[in-house]
Amino acid sequence: MPTFESHGRAYDVDEDGFLQDPSIWNEEVAKDFMVTEGVNELTEGHWKVINYLRNYYLQFGIAPMIRKLCKETGFKLNEIYQMFPSGPAKGACKLAGLPKPTGCV
Amino acid sequence: MFLPGIAAASLESSSTSRTEKRRERIEGASLEGVSVRPLSTEEKSKAFALPKKSEVVQRQRLPVRYHVEDFDVEDRPRRFLEAFAAILKHTNYRLALDHYIRVSAKCARCTVACQVYDATGDPHDIPCYRSELLLSVYRRHFTLSGMLRARILGDPGLTDEKIQEMADSFYNCTACRRCHFECPMGIDHALITHLGRYILSEIGVAPRALVVSTREQLIGATGNTSGIPLPALLDTLEFLTEDIQDQKGIHVPFPVDQEGAEYLFVPAVSDFMMEAETLKGIAAVFKATGDSWTIGSKYFDGINYGLFYSDHVLEHVLRKIRAEAERLKVKKVLIGECGHASRSAKFFYPTYCGGKDALPVVSILEYTHQALKEGRIKLDPKIVTERVTYHDPCNMARPGWIVNQPREVLRAFCADYVEMVPNGRMNICCGGGGGTVSIDEIRPYRTAVGGRLKAEQIRDTKANYCVAPCSNCKKQLRELMEDQGVECEIGGLHDLIYKAIILPKDTPSGDEKQEESAEGSVSLAAGSEDPGNEGGES
Repeated sequence: MPTFESHGRAYDVDEDGFLQDPSIWNEEVAKDFMVTEGVNELTEGHWKVINYLRNYYLQFGIAPMIRKLCKETGFKLNEIYQMFPSGPAKGACKLAGLPKPTGCV
Repeated sequence: MFLPGIAAASLESSSTSRTEKRRERIEGASLEGVSVRPLSTEEKSKAFALPKKSEVVQRQRLPVRYHVEDFDVEDRPRRFLEAFAAILKHTNYRLALDHYIRVSAKCARCTVACQVYDATGDPHDIPCYRSELLLSVYRRHFTLSGMLRARILGDPGLTDEKIQEMADSFYNCTACRRCHFECPMGIDHALITHLGRYILSEIGVAPRALVVSTREQLIGATGNTSGIPLPALLDTLEFLTEDIQDQKGIHVPFPVDQEGAEYLFVPAVSDFMMEAETLKGIAAVFKATGDSWTIGSKYFDGINYGLFYSDHVLEHVLRKIRAEAERLKVKKVLIGECGHASRSAKFFYPTYCGGKDALPVVSILEYTHQALKEGRIKLDPKIVTERVTYHDPCNMARPGWIVNQPREVLRAFCADYVEMVPNGRMNICCGGGGGTVSIDEIRPYRTAVGGRLKAEQIRDTKANYCVAPCSNCKKQLRELMEDQGVECEIGGLHDLIYKAIILPKDTPSGDEKQEESAEGSVSLAAGSEDPGNEGGES
């Protein structure tokens, strides 16, 4: 199984670099993973998106609809793309410790 | 003079006349007129780079760009042939193969229709070369003359290297089926590619992205490819209703488990995560027409990756739709904006779910077109003023099934509608067809090679908005626009309809009377030409 190492911590990840066990997530994970998704620093806006994704995932077991993410966090889709260049389904979900989305997502 | 296409074993036949077919073949097949920059060495190395570790490639003995789950690599040729033999025994692929090995002239006329070959210029990407990979195995191992010839010439037969080549080659193809128009012998190369992928999947060689998704769909807890649990679906539907209420001030429901409804709605399940506007548009159309529709809580995924790589999966996914349709006692199956979901259901639902007694399968594009034609929905022509173009999803347009319907709808309310060239049945694939769009690790290949022509085609139209009524196409085209630097928004047909539709206002008594049509609104005039779907085969 591939591992990802950063700041002396090693994580079990899948081949796309998503955390294998979403339950071990904490804020350090987001900070360690951000370099892989082209995020330079985690601003308040980033945390708003990450925390929303995380809480939705803990409640429903899946990421929310993108439109819902935008509406609830107050960011437009292009603003989310500016924060997470690889997009909400990949970059933001990876930093929030969600599993990689499957299917046509 | 052109020979008539001998599509003896083609699973689908077209609804247009043969003369029409020939005319289209002459005028549209070649890629002349669409010019693209040749692939630079740098682009090529990026597109074809192996995205995985060399130890994985060595362990699996499979130098392909997509991830594959670990599988038994020992004695692969024998197991491939056993799987091939079993498939031949239990299906009618032999009919097609027997014919194809006789008529295949390897004339390479298909090169002019293939966008992958157009981008790479690599002889390995010529469709009939790709088909020959499998046809030669069939000829050598499953025909008497082939076996005798091998005896005389000492041909050792199928090798592991050849399996590796097939595993790579069959997933370089987008399965758009454009080459099938150009073949003077009527060979459907995509059918052979499909069979090749099917056999490979039986020995464990299939893209992990597809395998993981279908496993969740068929035996997973959530029963859909995106792994959406039912509570999340219900939350999403509630959110969509609230969103419409906020935007339009009208209550538009998304009915769930309405027994006896006219339509069971099965979209690509990813729409519930990605395509809010499309779903809102579809709900708005039903609000306007007043027809009964429902989403099933036990099964709500139209995605069928079986069409891309396995007939087993194809069958079992369709059976799940059938079970839900029977549970809810609906009269028709309605597929959302998705090319492969529509084609797999339209053409294979009767095959696997009751033959002539199978429920009719309708695409939402047909439904909305019909509703507009009958004057049951009203669209305001002043809302959408930007330049709009239409991308034909291959799975809908190639069989001639859905070509004119969405165009008539768009022309009815888009002030500046332009066509791409070529379009309709001869349209160029988005570059992510055949399931490749779900394989994220090959994105560089998809956007540099597969969709290269498409990007230029869209750029040429100077459109601000490209309608792509297919979840696969939408995802691929968005990535393509980004990677190729084209400024064009990609969305669905119902996204635009949602903007322009004039909905009946809610009345306090709940009586939803159709309002007088607003001034200037349009509906397709009665007597306009018929949709091109009569005589649709099934």
